[in-house]
Amino acid sequence: METFHNIGTSTDWVVMVMYFLAIMLFGTYFGRYTKNTSDFFFGGRRFSWWLITMSIVATGVGSHSFVKYSAKGFEHGFSSSMTYLNDWFFIPFFMFGWLPIIVYSKVRSIPEYFEKRFNPSARFLATILLLFYMIGYIGIGFLTLGKAVIPLLPESFYIFGSLIEITLMRAIVVIAIITGAYITFGGQTAVIFTDLLQGFILLFAGFLLFVLGISYIGGGQEFWDLLPLSWKLPLADFNKPSSFNFVGIFWQDAVAGSIGFLFMNQGLLMRFMACKSVNEGRKAATINILFVLPLSAIVVGNAGWLGKAMSVMDPTIVSPNTSPDEIFVVVASIVTSPGIFGFIMAALTAALMSTVDTLINATAAIFVNDVYRPIMKYLKKVYANDKQKDKEELFAARISSMAITVAGVLSVLAFIQFPTVYEAHGYFHSTLTPPLVVAIFMGVFWKRFTPAGVITTFLGGVVLMILGARFPEVFISPFDHGIEMNPNRPYSYIRALYNLIACVGVGVFVTMTTSFQNSIVSIIKKNKNSNTIMMVLSIITSVIFLLVIIGSSPFQFIFPIFIIVLIPIIITYYGNYDEELSTKGLTVYSINEAKQAFKGSELNEKYGEKVEVKLEVSNHNEDEIMFSKNDLLLLGAEVGDLVYLSDKRKWLGGLKSIHSRFGKSHNKDGIVYLNKDQIENGLFENDKILIAEKEM
Amino acid sequence: MDYFSHSWLPYIYLYGVGGIFFFSGVYLVWKTGAIDLSQPHHRTWMKVFFIGYAWFMIVHGIFTILALQL
Repeated sequence: METFHNIGTSTDWVVMVMYFLAIMLFGTYFGRYTKNTSDFFFGGRRFSWWLITMSIVATGVGSHSFVKYSAKGFEHGFSSSMTYLNDWFFIPFFMFGWLPIIVYSKVRSIPEYFEKRFNPSARFLATILLLFYMIGYIGIGFLTLGKAVIPLLPESFYIFGSLIEITLMRAIVVIAIITGAYITFGGQTAVIFTDLLQGFILLFAGFLLFVLGISYIGGGQEFWDLLPLSWKLPLADFNKPSSFNFVGIFWQDAVAGSIGFLFMNQGLLMRFMACKSVNEGRKAATINILFVLPLSAIVVGNAGWLGKAMSVMDPTIVSPNTSPDEIFVVVASIVTSPGIFGFIMAALTAALMSTVDTLINATAAIFVNDVYRPIMKYLKKVYANDKQKDKEELFAARISSMAITVAGVLSVLAFIQFPTVYEAHGYFHSTLTPPLVVAIFMGVFWKRFTPAGVITTFLGGVVLMILGARFPEVFISPFDHGIEMNPNRPYSYIRALYNLIACVGVGVFVTMTTSFQNSIVSIIKKNKNSNTIMMVLSIITSVIFLLVIIGSSPFQFIFPIFIIVLIPIIITYYGNYDEELSTKGLTVYSINEAKQAFKGSELNEKYGEKVEVKLEVSNHNEDEIMFSKNDLLLLGAEVGDLVYLSDKRKWLGGLKSIHSRFGKSHNKDGIVYLNKDQIENGLFENDKILIAEKEM
Repeated sequence: MDYFSHSWLPYIYLYGVGGIFFFSGVYLVWKTGAIDLSQPHHRTWMKVFFIGYAWFMIVHGIFTILALQL
């Protein structure tokens, strides 16, 4: 396979460095809006749908990367776009199930949901699995960045007389240092605004490359005619080859990936949670999936399609043996002039950095919320006031961002063996998402799903998945849909189907046998040595779990049975679960209760209109803002309802805004009374017109 | 060469099996009352669900026909 070095000119490097400096300055500017942990992680829940939609572009395109889709576009054609056009199937579940639940239940991380819905043990296991998932995702991002940058660099260089060889890992370490810089000091608001800018640039750069490439080939008709028929089809062959087939990718990406993307990707969820309301989040998700993702599919895949057409036109321009992961850089360097190439490469690498930044920020949120805070609570840490608590948590967030960056770099080692980033990502998704995806999904949409069910889904699911990975010909082949098994990387994608079935099967079995577990536990409880019996059962289960992980026992095939039977009994014995209480406002069956809990009083569903107001300063202390009686009528609001107040200038996208409650009314129409803290938090200016709307 | 396994078979599988997930989701959010069709903006969202599903079916269908015919 042909690989490249030293692509690009010094002009390109100058453009790239200038681009990065501009982006970092832009991020640092918006970093000043970060005042507390809520701003650091969630951007203060204030933004409009269009701003979030565009900021998701850089994250979505970055994470699904130019590098890997250009590679598949080069090898297989338009079917590289499959991944971008299969996220709609789970949108009803997301928009009217998961999104309102996470917003209204005020959970700050996915593991926190598990504690509220189930118990602290479920939260603990979810935290571990989610941290693995997020750090792995960061590792994939770094790997992609490294592969994008290596063709631009020389093979080695001299420094102080010593020859330094540029390896993939060394390049990744340098990238990680640069990437960690502004996230550590900026926070979510900085990331959202940097991504917003990059979203526009990225779409522009991708289409610019496509237009230049088509023109280089000689026109659209020539481009179409040069591509072989199978390159023009939008979906891959049903079950071959093993490295890229439709059915495997359907289960890995359209099912596990889409649920993972919408339900489990803390980075993406934090973007939706940064929207000013649930409905605004729905709009952002809709526009993103219906229009932005299809456009992104063209943006990220076109270099591969152009590369294939060029290789058919003249194999001396683009060799058919070009390393697929380098095709993007190769095609971009051929069809663009110096400077433009630097701009496109800067847009690509900056977008990838955005993805990694979002993930680092999200993982830090999980760390602070699910590791740091519980530890501080356990240590009974006392804070002088809320400001001191917030300051210390913000510091912990920044330090953990750095540690997570290092862990992400180390995780690259697990993916470096795969021939393409696409396969590495597919394998990663198929393996790590199913237990959490199944647990979240069943927790939200199945009221009967119990703590014993969720914990056994985590542990029993992992055990069955380990056995599947160890003996794919036994466990995965019954689900392979005729895909040939590659012994080096068996069933990279279709393993997702087996893993999903294993996790769903465990969860359903355990939940459906709840009465059996209760009977066993009541028998054990009658025994005066019940605690000793349970202690012994717990030790036996732990040993069995370890033996499966080590894989040294000849009985490992029957061990899952013990785990699936014993864990629910242990959880039922030690746990105390009230289904009615634990599911209130936390499943799709009780969204209205969640909404009421969020508001803190009865819902007022009366329709009202938006009202323009000017602010006046008041010295009240309560977190409420005061409108005139007539304005309240126009808004359809009553005292105690929730209000969203923002600067009238729509292009600000909600940057200058606050959420509050309607306080008691006055008689000055068109005037709203705010205290100094509210004006400061909303970043309001005295002479600007504000728009008020009732949130609920 | 027969391109069925590369064109219409994955298409049928995508919108058949994917459709099972999609319509189950629509049914579930309607049945549980999470989407309340008495509210005008919820009715709009319901329409958006179906339009979105049709949109992707049409896009994939058109590209498959173009690839096979042109």
